[in-house]
Amino acid sequence: MICAGIDIGSISTKAVILNGSDIKGKLVISTGYNASQAGDRVYDELLDTIGMRRSDVDSVVSTGYGRNAVTFADRAMTEIICHGTGAHFLKPDVRSIIDIGGQDSKAMVLDPEGRVREFVMNDKCAAGTGRFLEVMARALESDLDSFGDLSLKSDNPSSISSICTVFAESEVISLISKGESREDIIAGIHESVASRVAALAKRIGVSEPVMMTGGVAINIGVVRALERALGLTITVLPEYAQVNGAIGAALIASRL
Amino acid sequence: MAEETKQKDPGAEERKIKSVKRMKEIMTGYYIDAKTARKNNNKVAWITSGGPVEPLIAMDIIPVYPENYGAMIGASKMGVELCEKAEEMGYSRELCSYARGDVASAIVNGGPIGGLPEPDLLVCCNNICGTVLKWYEIQARYFNVPLFIFDTPISHTNFSDSARKYVRSQIDEYFEVLESVTGEKFNYDKMGEVGKLSVETQRLWQAILDTTMHRPAPMSAFDAFFHLALIVTLRGTQTCIDYYRELLEEMNQRIASGISAVPEEKYRLLWDNLPIWYKTRWLSDKFASHDTCLVADTYTSAWSGSVDMLKEEDFIESMVDGYSRIWLNIGTDIMAEGILKMIDKYDVDGVVMHSNRSCKPYSLGQYDLQKIIMKERNLPTLFIEADMCDERNFSESQVETRIDAFMEIVKEKKASVK
Amino acid sequence: MDIINEFRNVLNDPYAYAGEWKKKNGKKVVGFFCSYAPEELVLAADCLPVRLFGTRDNIVHADAHLQSYSCSLIRGALEEALTGRLDFLDGAVFPHTCDSIQRLSDIWRMNMKFSFHWDVVMPVKLNTESAREYMRDVLHDFRDELSSGLGVEISDEKIQEAIALYNRIRSLLKKIYEIRSKFPSVISGSDMHAILRGSMIMDRHELPGRLEKIVEHLEAESANAEDSSAMRLMFTGGICDFPDIFTVIEESGGVVAWDDLCTGSRYFEGSISNAGDPVSAIAERYTSRVICPAKHASVTSRGENITELAKEHDIAGVIFLYLKFCDPHSWDYPYMKEYLDRAGVPSMLLEVEDRLPSEGQLRTRFETFIQTL
Repeated sequence: MICAGIDIGSISTKAVILNGSDIKGKLVISTGYNASQAGDRVYDELLDTIGMRRSDVDSVVSTGYGRNAVTFADRAMTEIICHGTGAHFLKPDVRSIIDIGGQDSKAMVLDPEGRVREFVMNDKCAAGTGRFLEVMARALESDLDSFGDLSLKSDNPSSISSICTVFAESEVISLISKGESREDIIAGIHESVASRVAALAKRIGVSEPVMMTGGVAINIGVVRALERALGLTITVLPEYAQVNGAIGAALIASRL
Repeated sequence: MAEETKQKDPGAEERKIKSVKRMKEIMTGYYIDAKTARKNNNKVAWITSGGPVEPLIAMDIIPVYPENYGAMIGASKMGVELCEKAEEMGYSRELCSYARGDVASAIVNGGPIGGLPEPDLLVCCNNICGTVLKWYEIQARYFNVPLFIFDTPISHTNFSDSARKYVRSQIDEYFEVLESVTGEKFNYDKMGEVGKLSVETQRLWQAILDTTMHRPAPMSAFDAFFHLALIVTLRGTQTCIDYYRELLEEMNQRIASGISAVPEEKYRLLWDNLPIWYKTRWLSDKFASHDTCLVADTYTSAWSGSVDMLKEEDFIESMVDGYSRIWLNIGTDIMAEGILKMIDKYDVDGVVMHSNRSCKPYSLGQYDLQKIIMKERNLPTLFIEADMCDERNFSESQVETRIDAFMEIVKEKKASVK
Repeated sequence: MDIINEFRNVLNDPYAYAGEWKKKNGKKVVGFFCSYAPEELVLAADCLPVRLFGTRDNIVHADAHLQSYSCSLIRGALEEALTGRLDFLDGAVFPHTCDSIQRLSDIWRMNMKFSFHWDVVMPVKLNTESAREYMRDVLHDFRDELSSGLGVEISDEKIQEAIALYNRIRSLLKKIYEIRSKFPSVISGSDMHAILRGSMIMDRHELPGRLEKIVEHLEAESANAEDSSAMRLMFTGGICDFPDIFTVIEESGGVVAWDDLCTGSRYFEGSISNAGDPVSAIAERYTSRVICPAKHASVTSRGENITELAKEHDIAGVIFLYLKFCDPHSWDYPYMKEYLDRAGVPSMLLEVEDRLPSEGQLRTRFETFIQTL
């Protein structure tokens, strides 16, 4: 059975195609300003890459903030369930999931059968999301992709106390002018994100095994900071972290 | 299209609650009486929602509830404008939106009926919160009328004898204030009658709320939010009893004929905290689209929650406990016990908590309640972060995503339980 | 002044001080958050009452129990408790004040396992005979609970001793304030702050001696004091846990000549009679002293009080200082401002979150305000 999952986020759109339980292909593109077009584009491009057509696919599930704009989906599911399903598939013993996306962050607790039991979301505030890191990367005139490695070089993270992203940016700029090192500042930025997300997760109580999903999971600095904030080990599968939601959507499509 | 197709509900007309029409007539009449009070040589008292209203009725004083008006302001979507006016006056945006709205409404004669009638007396009972004290102080300064404060100490774990004595003395002080405002002796005979009516009203209200134990529920919490207005404003009157008898009768008929609030009730939830007044219809439809009925809530049941403490034959004495040990005036852990009881009584599949910026006594502690609910009943809780009256604090698409995600969890859980 | 450094040191690490005091004396430490806490009874029970504030660290754990729309005092206090930094405490006393503290008490009691937890549900209304009587009853009940909880006898004599001690401490603090008001140049705002805050932590038996030394020193200094040309300002509001704010004000050309703060004059205002039943005497002080906005004495008492203080201390400008999400203070602000406007006293508002705004922002605000006076 061939199934597809489409995850339309605010910044990136992901697609995954499964054949049974084999991942036949995955793709990440920029969402741009038109969610519906992004859905079409990612789907058709991925199909092209693996030499398939739309008619080869038995069912499609869409997720993410743009899920209702996907005209060809058989069903729309929220990303909470999709992330839970995807993570359980990738690591069947996972009990807690932390997902930091472009515009929100969430935590989920699963039961032993892999069903989501509780979830908690921050969908109101940029602090603790990918957006926060982007804003900081601009302020530091740094490449966001290098953040992870750079932060690991620091053994004295700067302290960033502002709760608000906009004011934190001013704080970072004044740290630069005070001569604090780039590595320390980035490490401080990661601590800031980690403490916000850890606070959110503690509301529903996370326990091991923990998996991190979403684009920010590829940032090793944030992962380590989050491990310290929670006092737990976190598993990241870098190859699948960003497409985890789409994987889950495709799996749900296979059960329709 | 991936969106769930909205089917036209064939029984929509049948599903409408018929008593609603009569209720609207009664409330209109009530507000007309209040607004023409002066012309008819009647006195008007503003009183807090948890305040002891029976003595006012015994002395023929018309009680007016700024909080009920706050709900009307929210429901008419006039909350934002009035709150902004209050902010211009120097009141912080973080303060309770009922109070902000009322303070502004008094100045501009705002809200759906062009302002409340001016009070001759203010009666402030702090059993619901400390904000009412400040709210009523403001109105006392503004209207330059007597302010009676009925100070009901909180029972974190128990209601002390000292507190009981204090509250009892204040009942006498209350009667003295009413005597001085009306120039009449306190009418103990009428008080006895009003007390009996009040107890009966509360029993009827509880009976109405109990009808939703039935599967499927003949009405939802959203209906209860609407019908609540009478027990708040007209408790202790025959009008109120007659109406609730009618409503109870209609609910029983609906049960007998199989008419339910939600066309296909598959999932049942409990609501905690005040309603989101400007979104009740939207929320009701949203949950109904998931075949879900909010069958009960902690807010409307607070108006009959004291019924076991009140005694018809000794109403005045029983008012002490009846007005002090109400839902919000107890420790969070005692509230938790109450919630677990309701979960069992109404057999719900989950809990929806409105994290209401305007109401700290109701909202602070909800995170601990969520943990207790999961631990003791293994049920999920949905948080909706909003405000009861100030629409600026509500984000529709975010709330929609949360509701969808929560319902997905509830459905999966139910499906897995054989 | 060396003796003021002792206060500063305590303030730098109050928990360490309390922990050492415990070890040295083998007695118990009781935390409190509010000026209505009946410290006299806690002291009479041979415990050290230690005033707690928020946290200097980031708030992470408390967010699992309290929404973000609550003040940094309760969120910070809970944070300190949950992280274990308050493990030296034997318990805490929660007098009833506002809705936020009320729920903090429940959440604290439900989540922490301190040996003792006392709720002292005082009346909100303070202007009737029945309220006075209830205040007396509440304090008698508290004395009984303290006694049975700690397993100690709290005799009337012990209470009278505690009363005498607190009367002494409060009148010395008041004296220091009065000297400062007359001669602002003899003591800095941050030193003043350290003395007040330190007095809420240190061994109360040692306090009068220390405070007397300070008074002596200041009286000597005031003999040759230069006239201060700084603008005379007054704070009104809740708690002030920000020593740096005084430095910024002083560098901007102002001086805090008096205050109407929970951690300032409201802390020491009002003495206790030594006639009659001691517990009732204590009750009388808590009933009749200058109120905070969570209590009710009359609908205009705070407005009248602030206007009188401004006149009495020749105040050029008033700064409203309170925490964001503090409902009681926030509600009183418009009408108190109106009272000051009518009396011709300019004012400004500073709402603070966990920490003060950046120094640059603060300086700009104060300089602007002072320049308009």
